[in-house]
Amino acid sequence: MKLRRLLGLIAGNLIASRVRALLAMVGIVVGTALLVFFLGLGQGLRERVLNRIFPVNQLEIEPQAVQLFGTQQVIGLAPLDEARVKQVAAIPGVVRAFGKQKSSFPARLWGGKEILGYNLFTEAFFDGMPVGILADELAEFEDVTGKRAKSAKRKPQRCDVDMDCAAGAQCQENACETVIWASLWRENPLVHLPCGSDSDCLAGTCTQGICHRADAPPSQRCSVPSSAGNGRDMDFDKEHGELAVACAEPGGFCKGSEPCPPSQYCATDNPDSIWGWCESPLPAVLNPLLLEVFNSDMARSLGAAPVGSLAVLYGVRFHVALGDSFFTKDAERNRQQYKQAIVVGFSRKAPELGLAMPLSVVRHYNARLRGAQAALLFDAVLLETTDNQDIPSVVAATESLGFSLSRKSRAARTFGTVVLVVSLALMVLAAIVLVVAATQIAQTFAMLVHERRKEIAVLRALGAAQTTIAALVLGEAAIIGLIGGTLGSAMAYATAAAVDYAAKTVLERVPLVPDGFFVFPWWAAPLAVGVALIFCCVGALLPALRAARVDPARVLSEA
Amino acid sequence: MSDLPPTPEPVAVAAAPIAVLAIDARRLSRTFAIVGATVQALVDVDLAIAPKEIVAIIGRSGAGKSTLLNLIGALDRQYQGELRVFGQELKSLSDSQLSRFRNRQIGFVFQSFQLLPNLSVGENVMLPAYFGSDLTQNEIERRARWLLGEMELATRFDQNPQQMSGGERQRVAVARALLLEPPLLVCDEPTGSLDAASAKQILQLFKDIRHKFATTLVLVTHDPAVAAAADRVITLDRGNVRSNTEVA
Repeated sequence: MKLRRLLGLIAGNLIASRVRALLAMVGIVVGTALLVFFLGLGQGLRERVLNRIFPVNQLEIEPQAVQLFGTQQVIGLAPLDEARVKQVAAIPGVVRAFGKQKSSFPARLWGGKEILGYNLFTEAFFDGMPVGILADELAEFEDVTGKRAKSAKRKPQRCDVDMDCAAGAQCQENACETVIWASLWRENPLVHLPCGSDSDCLAGTCTQGICHRADAPPSQRCSVPSSAGNGRDMDFDKEHGELAVACAEPGGFCKGSEPCPPSQYCATDNPDSIWGWCESPLPAVLNPLLLEVFNSDMARSLGAAPVGSLAVLYGVRFHVALGDSFFTKDAERNRQQYKQAIVVGFSRKAPELGLAMPLSVVRHYNARLRGAQAALLFDAVLLETTDNQDIPSVVAATESLGFSLSRKSRAARTFGTVVLVVSLALMVLAAIVLVVAATQIAQTFAMLVHERRKEIAVLRALGAAQTTIAALVLGEAAIIGLIGGTLGSAMAYATAAAVDYAAKTVLERVPLVPDGFFVFPWWAAPLAVGVALIFCCVGALLPALRAARVDPARVLSEA
Repeated sequence: MSDLPPTPEPVAVAAAPIAVLAIDARRLSRTFAIVGATVQALVDVDLAIAPKEIVAIIGRSGAGKSTLLNLIGALDRQYQGELRVFGQELKSLSDSQLSRFRNRQIGFVFQSFQLLPNLSVGENVMLPAYFGSDLTQNEIERRARWLLGEMELATRFDQNPQQMSGGERQRVAVARALLLEPPLLVCDEPTGSLDAASAKQILQLFKDIRHKFATTLVLVTHDPAVAAAADRVITLDRGNVRSNTEVA
């Protein structure tokens, strides 16, 4: 029988028994909708939530430690230096590995006046992070691609000052330019790292007390006002929130002179120096959790309004006093440095209570304030695996090297496992619904076959073979599966869109809510339709065989 | 029935040699197992029907008329003895071969018409061509329209058969049976559901069919008028042929 004619008969039968067909389809629609919905939700939670906290193929490992006399003691035999990082990088399945170094010096920071109306003061902690491990995430978080596309569409706009430009743009050479904050996250920012000799410099040479790298751009020498004189009592001005030096004028404060370009400032070698170099602020990456903590736990007690969005923090400059502390002994005065830093992005990999800065910066100040040895050893290793499937073997290999997963990675893996198990459980639920739907299909088709026995017998008398009769029944089931699977998929996509929309509306003011909770792989809908097709055909198989076995002689002889 | 217009190309049917009987049954028996008991529906029936013959099979209920008709119509092949239809022994055929045989060699007309309610009149008539015919859709439709015209139902092609009278529906069923011009037409109580006028019309139709299509007709009937219209009347009684009489 030709396919077109077979389809014509199938369509005719379906139309004739459309109510039953629709009722039989309900279970399939619900089952496939649940399957696609949970598939998208599981994938979304992994990609949009978990992967942002810690990408699935990235791990953070630390030297194994044990509790000893109430403190954590590292039990690894060899110190975590470059050689051990290379050892980790050589593990099969590891694409690359980076050392991560925490600051080992006291520091404090203050800033935020432009947002809060006054400056916040706090002790500061830094994680030195390899630039490469955060670059993509920062660009994605900032939606750099979208910003560039929008910028390309925008007409050029003339300006004199930043205020003339739209939000997110700065006035550069009388033209508004969109600022890509993520691009400021670089390993070799225009920052002058002080030194005593070449050995103090992790890269480049020590010239006139500053580490110079051959690839660094030329910089401009600058000075603080001469009226400040030497031996100033350098401190921050709590009222104005600016780094201030005591002036010759009694009772007054002078700001550092600003002969530098707008994006730079005059940074001095130490609090007592009147000379410095124009340099860019240190790039800093914040953990988005900070905003949540601030809004939920701190803003009220500080009398500040909650910060609406992370976007307002881009480009915020603040001051850091390196070697200076609220809580512990300061470093030697001539070793201290006062710097500016700028928020260039957000990452879950940044410390929850602290900042991520380029590894070279943290290493340098560890060396300056705690000695060269402090810059040589790492606290953790960040590594990327080729594939998620490599993770178990990589974890085992790192354990044999004396490492264990960091708290973050353990949490990520636990969360990942929970998401996986819950997703699987929900998909099993969807499968159960589909099995029930298949049973419903079987029941419906058994009834239809019984009701149509006469018709089937007539078709057999007219020359339809048993295979044709079976194909007619299975064809009807297949069409119900195709339509049901398509409707189910569409329903899942629509429900997911509605849930995302509701989440955006209801959770508008809650930070950290992802753009969407669902990620549908391209194969989700075809899979759902295929599964629906299979379940329908399996459900209709026995009725189809029964239909094929209808005895035309007996049925046509019945009254 | 009016003269046929230039007829469509006939369906390729294996032409039976002149010497070959349309139906040739020897010691044909059929038993059924019903609730543990064995019922002998046909007992050693010998039967020979020539091509183009009209044969009526009569008998009381339970005499074995329908059983014999089902065997002749290749709907049932669980028989003992020999049964050849146009020289073809039916037992040896697979299901698909038997289905194809039915499709090409046998047309069926049932007492209760057995038209498919979800198909139009035209679609019902065209149905046999859907199972294994190589005819194009245009050719099938042309044949169906011509046959319906012959049955004086030309304007009813797209109508639903349930909107028609019994006589009209039976004529549609006859048109369906003739679509592929089978050499054998098997009719089970063809006038059983019709009024006298319609029954007469159908009988005349059968006579015309025999002339125009050179068709052999085997009819099971209770209707004396139908039996009288046949060339021969076979009377069955409890599975045996009681009489085999030519009609004068």
